[in-house]
Amino acid sequence: MGPQHPMTHGLWNLRVRIEGEVIKDVEPEMGFLHRGIEKISEDRHYNEIITLMDRTCYVAGLNWEHLFIVAAEQALHIEPPERAEYIRVLSAELQRIASHLMWYAAFCQDLGLTTPFLYGMRDRDLILDLFQSYTGARLTYEYMRVGGVRNDLPLGFTDRCRKVVDWLMDRFVEYDRLCLSSTIFNERCNGLGVLLAPEAVAYGVTGPMLRSAGSHRDIRKDRPYSVYNKLQFEVATANTADVTGRYLVRMEEMRQAVKISRQCLDWLDDNPGPVMASQLPRWLGAPYAPVGNEAYLLKRNYPTGLGFSMMEEPHGEAGAYIVNDGGEHPYRVKFRSPVLINIWAAKRYLPGYRVADIPPIMGSVDVCVGECDR
Amino acid sequence: MKTSELAASLTAKFGGRILGVDEFPGLLGRVRFDPAIATELFRTFRDDLGFVHLSMVGATDWVDHREVFYALWSDTDRVYVMLSTNLPPDAPTVASAVPIWPSANAHEREAWDLVGVRFEGHPDLRRIFMPEGYAYHPLLRSFKIHEPEDLEVKVRSD
Amino acid sequence: MSPVTLFSISHTIAAWLLAHISYVFPAPAQGWLTSGNVVLGLTALIFAVILLGASMINTIMLIWWERKLLGRFMDRRGAMHVGFAGLLQNFADGLKLFRKDTVRPGQADELGFWLSPTAYLVSSLVLFAILPISTGWNGGSLPLTLLLALVIFSFAPLFIFLGAWASNNKYSLIGGMRSAAQMIAYEVPILLAVVAVVVLSGSFDLTTIVQEQRNYWFWAPLFLALIVFLTGMLAEMERIPFDLPEAEAELVEGWNTEYGGMLFAFFMLADYVRYMVGSILVVLLFLGGWTLPSYIPTILTSFPLAGIVWFMVKVYLVFGVFVWVRASLPRMRTDQLLKLGWMRMVPLALLSVVLAALVVAAHCLPLIGCVPSMGG
Repeated sequence: MGPQHPMTHGLWNLRVRIEGEVIKDVEPEMGFLHRGIEKISEDRHYNEIITLMDRTCYVAGLNWEHLFIVAAEQALHIEPPERAEYIRVLSAELQRIASHLMWYAAFCQDLGLTTPFLYGMRDRDLILDLFQSYTGARLTYEYMRVGGVRNDLPLGFTDRCRKVVDWLMDRFVEYDRLCLSSTIFNERCNGLGVLLAPEAVAYGVTGPMLRSAGSHRDIRKDRPYSVYNKLQFEVATANTADVTGRYLVRMEEMRQAVKISRQCLDWLDDNPGPVMASQLPRWLGAPYAPVGNEAYLLKRNYPTGLGFSMMEEPHGEAGAYIVNDGGEHPYRVKFRSPVLINIWAAKRYLPGYRVADIPPIMGSVDVCVGECDR
Repeated sequence: MKTSELAASLTAKFGGRILGVDEFPGLLGRVRFDPAIATELFRTFRDDLGFVHLSMVGATDWVDHREVFYALWSDTDRVYVMLSTNLPPDAPTVASAVPIWPSANAHEREAWDLVGVRFEGHPDLRRIFMPEGYAYHPLLRSFKIHEPEDLEVKVRSD
Repeated sequence: MSPVTLFSISHTIAAWLLAHISYVFPAPAQGWLTSGNVVLGLTALIFAVILLGASMINTIMLIWWERKLLGRFMDRRGAMHVGFAGLLQNFADGLKLFRKDTVRPGQADELGFWLSPTAYLVSSLVLFAILPISTGWNGGSLPLTLLLALVIFSFAPLFIFLGAWASNNKYSLIGGMRSAAQMIAYEVPILLAVVAVVVLSGSFDLTTIVQEQRNYWFWAPLFLALIVFLTGMLAEMERIPFDLPEAEAELVEGWNTEYGGMLFAFFMLADYVRYMVGSILVVLLFLGGWTLPSYIPTILTSFPLAGIVWFMVKVYLVFGVFVWVRASLPRMRTDQLLKLGWMRMVPLALLSVVLAALVVAAHCLPLIGCVPSMGG
């Protein structure tokens, strides 16, 4: 099934061996969208790599920017101001809601529910309008910088954001009623794609897929990064380990993201301040020297460092490992993509079901091929 | 557990094969080891120290050697640890982590594909991103992005 | 006033046309041209043309209605630009499809490939000639119109399977087999629900069935049969929740994957003709056809062609319910669908037949009272 297939939501191939209607074996084939992001990053300044991070996972761009920036700041020994951290967390949580709404739209469309597709897109549009008001773009933001964020939030943003977030909380009730109270939905999704917790951990599955099996692992709680240790929220879990469980986990994650956003908005209202670190190395801020001043671009003796960040991204646990060798370009940038591992574990949770079950199960995995292939 | 305790327990078990345990802010530590003890070290980390989750396996090409690094996570201690080993460039082979953590399957295929590190004991070591029959390992320093390359690609047709 | 029927309109037009054309011809030809047989012949032709034209335009209006209503359910507006409120959009779409080049796969069976959409469309259009939309507005009085309509309606699986097989594409074949299995499975509950109606009304003739509903519509005593019939019709029409054979998410397009251009237009048009026929059957059998309850003021019921107008209103409302179902429910899997058909719908349909028989035997309706003139 693939690489061109309306179900796969992206460019990847799923080779399925079937006997009658029952799946015997699967083999995912990735790599159609491999753009060599890690290789390109070795030739770019740190702030230039941000443009690549949006495109790594285009559905959850700000989360991946956040991931890279935290690792880069650790590698470069730079501390961002607290207001920048709160703006980053707000952006990440809003982006989480947008990513899950996109997932909701595509998942329901795969099942035949055509209306939630448009509801999800409509609400995601509200969030994208919010993003446009302060980053300037709806999908490829290029907003975060090493040392902070590019610009502060516009006036009146927090009120608008609160309105959107309140509207979304009412919509989640409606979405649950549309899906969970439908017998057909339950019959099609209950008991499908079961992947129990011990197997999930062994196969490296993370994110909503793992939490639907009863695990409470959420990197934001277990190893808080940025300002998550100051925010209150709960970890969304379910204990059915099937497609319905993953649906419940993602809906609950959206509600928790709303809760976190409200706390961030309250803090941002009360604490104005700078959004960019004040002591930045000069070569970081201006990669292009004026003509005649090429000495500006020469390699500087900046302390070396290693940056490691792992984040709870909407699709799972994403990671970045950056090796800074003292130059202006990183020596090595390595990303851990949750979707690659979650898809690879299909060998465990797909066989035994019917071909008609593939759309709900793979839909519940929430595939974003951009980050899978990088 | 602190880095020093980890260092003490590992050197007690493996002796000189552990080349060092460095501090890494935010992690439990960075353990540099000799590739010969790979499998036993993995087993120790999984069974004795409780690092049940293999987060990441990657490889870096430092021109005079190749480094393979692993990131492990423990649910009980809620902490990451990094393992790192250096391989000679003419024989970059290390034991595979797949028998211990099956999640290493896709990671190691990627490391083979992009950096050219072989993993012994991997059930199906073949390219994952680049097409079959591709002649290069793109993330090596010797592979320049901006030069043209000869391509002969075999397409799978079964 | 004498009732206006389609036949009388066509006869008038035919007679007028022949009277004027025959002036050109010499005298013996004139006489022949205006004789009764020729006029009748031309009447039949004009009758068919009017019926076909009106039905096709009505079907295309049904597509418009679905698009707008579905759009509103999804918080959007549907087709907006071509024509006022998008009324001409589907004509534009049809025109575009007709202009396209039809690509036939090299290995596809030529006769089957061209024949199956055509036969599918033709057999669906024939139904318009049989189903009455008001007294006198049908293709002649046949004694068993209901039976005939249901039989022709059930030709569809044959042509779908033929089309799927002729495409020489394994996905189309799987889709075609599933489609045929689904349709055949749901014929049985539909026929049993219709038997309940026949028991209550006493006739297989659709006009008589509607006449029997002039005091009370059949949906009240036969509510169970209505539910079974609606569900069965949804499955026959291959709409969500029963549209797995067309499910894009799995088989790209299902059994009509290989068809493009005009042939695809035929399939789509035939699909909408069947939706129309399904809605018409629901209205005729359960919602009183073109009759209205007596408490509606006569002003609304006695303008010319009032029967047709109210009939069409009801048909569009019933189709609106189908669209509503499409907007709200997910898709069922084939095995769940077939289980529903055989294990749940058939027993319910049998039960509805029994209930209908009880109602007839008792001469009384629950909650309505006893009506002496009940069919037997």
